Amino acid sequence: MAEGYVEYRNLRKSFGGLEILHGVDLTIPEGAFAVLVGPSGCGKSTLLRMTAGLEDVTSGEINIAGRMVNNVHAKNRGIAMVFQSYALYPHMSVEDNMSFGLKMRKTPLHLITDRIKRAAAILKLGPMLDRLPSQLSGGQRQRVAMGRALTREPEVFLFDEPLSNLDAKLRVEMRAEIKALHQRLKTTTIYVTHDQIEAMTMADLVVVMHDDRIEQVGEPLAIYDRPANLFVAEFLGSPAMNLIPGTIAQDADGRFVQTEAGLRLPLEPEANGTVGQAVVYGIRPEKPDGRGRGGRYPPGHCVGKDRAVDGQHEAAGGVLPRRRGRAAARR
Amino acid sequence: MSHTTPMVEDGPTGADRLKPFVPYLLVLPGLLFVMGVLGYAVVGGIILSLNETDMFMNKTFVGLKNYIDVFADPRFQAAMLRTLSFVVISIVLGIFMSMSFALVLYKVVRGRRFFRGLSLVPYFVSGIATAVMFRFIFTTSGGFVNTVLAQLGLPAQSWLGDPTLAFVVAIMANCWFMVPFASLILLGGIQTIDKDLYDAAAIDGANPIQIFFRITLPLIKPMLGVSLIWVSYISFSTFDIVLALTSGGPLKATELVSIYMYELAFRQLNFGQGAVLMVVLLVFNTVLSLIYIKIFVMGDRRHSEAGK
Repeated sequence: MAEGYVEYRNLRKSFGGLEILHGVDLTIPEGAFAVLVGPSGCGKSTLLRMTAGLEDVTSGEINIAGRMVNNVHAKNRGIAMVFQSYALYPHMSVEDNMSFGLKMRKTPLHLITDRIKRAAAILKLGPMLDRLPSQLSGGQRQRVAMGRALTREPEVFLFDEPLSNLDAKLRVEMRAEIKALHQRLKTTTIYVTHDQIEAMTMADLVVVMHDDRIEQVGEPLAIYDRPANLFVAEFLGSPAMNLIPGTIAQDADGRFVQTEAGLRLPLEPEANGTVGQAVVYGIRPEKPDGRGRGGRYPPGHCVGKDRAVDGQHEAAGGVLPRRRGRAAARR
Repeated sequence: MSHTTPMVEDGPTGADRLKPFVPYLLVLPGLLFVMGVLGYAVVGGIILSLNETDMFMNKTFVGLKNYIDVFADPRFQAAMLRTLSFVVISIVLGIFMSMSFALVLYKVVRGRRFFRGLSLVPYFVSGIATAVMFRFIFTTSGGFVNTVLAQLGLPAQSWLGDPTLAFVVAIMANCWFMVPFASLILLGGIQTIDKDLYDAAAIDGANPIQIFFRITLPLIKPMLGVSLIWVSYISFSTFDIVLALTSGGPLKATELVSIYMYELAFRQLNFGQGAVLMVVLLVFNTVLSLIYIKIFVMGDRRHSEAGK
């Protein structure tokens, strides 16, 4: 798909004099599952709400399916949105919640029944159609919210932190369910979360946002392995990447990074940077491979099959490096 | 299990047995106080209505004679019809205005607290003062409204001298007094609605009118019920404003049941018949309130906690 399905061109948003989105350029291909991820207040929800048509565009362009939608009303953008609070109408049954949008659009009744039946079958909502939202569990409400979005048969699904009100176990289940749903329907999806694990596990395309701008866009593993900057390096991955300050040096074997404490860290030949340059050397904490010997390993905190260990390397003067990192992020 | 320490058979202690009653015990003093004050007045009123009482408060039991006399009294019948139309118009107008104010106040972002406080001022002004203010506004010669009409080249009206106009002005004064509190109740209801619902409804394609009737209104049903009780009660029982505004005139055009009650009991010293009117008002208010509670408050319990 050469042309993006959802495209943002130099999109800006200001409230009063305060700019809260600084020129976003982003292309989301058709059928992609794009995850906007970043800490609270990074502008990701604003970007999603602008896409939905719930916030005005200050300047720039939003295109959906090749159509500029800046001034198109939310109901005519061909989108459906799942809210963090689910936003189910509390006085309507599950069925009425799902059909409300279709009724507002004067969809023929038999079509409404068909679509509700289909959505209910996909999401296993059949026995709950007559119930009120207050009679459902959190996970069921979540599914109703998705069902309501499904019946709209939108061109783009928008999810605003849909799992953050669920407990850990249910969150993992729903994560898989949403992903499976996407693989089945192949509808372009934009999903906002502050949870980097959701981003890594669900996305085809991760968009890392920070301080009202996009820091990096790419496939999850590509971003994980090659973060574009220090923020992305620290934000993705748990436990966080080890970051050790040093200087690029060179000897007969090639270039390497010399830490202040005298540790010598190998550098890939293709890594950029010139001799003498101050850099931060990043090492993912997985896979202790013995190279870090010399440090004392204190008892770590066990998190199931993994054990996370915080320690100090005598020579590193920082976090114990246990795996050769590939990224040398520029300071 | 021979080595376990023998356990004392632990029956429910006195405090445990009392536990389910604690909430009721805590409510009891307040309830007794209210019942005492209210009950004294209501029971005393009912007793009064069943007796012939002279100005020295000597009672003679007469059964339902006072009721029969009152219901046969054409002046009462006229006052009752007048009151019913006064109440119906006041409810329709009052709820419409309250809802409009509540929706406007909800939309006001900057200075919402200030305007909310300001909007309550009419409620804090005493009925007599409100009536005096309305007299000033609607006085025929030199009144505010007639002065404005004159500026516009329109003829002056005898607002408080014309029976129909006086009735209208009385309704306006009544609304002026009761709308602020009713709109505050409605505003409270509107503010509890999750804003995401409005976003969801916008995406669903509902226009503002559909959003109001299909989202906002159903979700504030309990508060609508409460404000209906308030508006009906105030309208049925309104007394001081109308008395000070028109004294029931002109030509009895604004003589409501409450005004006639005052007339009977304290001008004609016919306490028995006056008390009958009190009972009539009490019955109307109670029945209406029960209907509202049944329709708006009780019927809504099932999902009221899911408003968030």
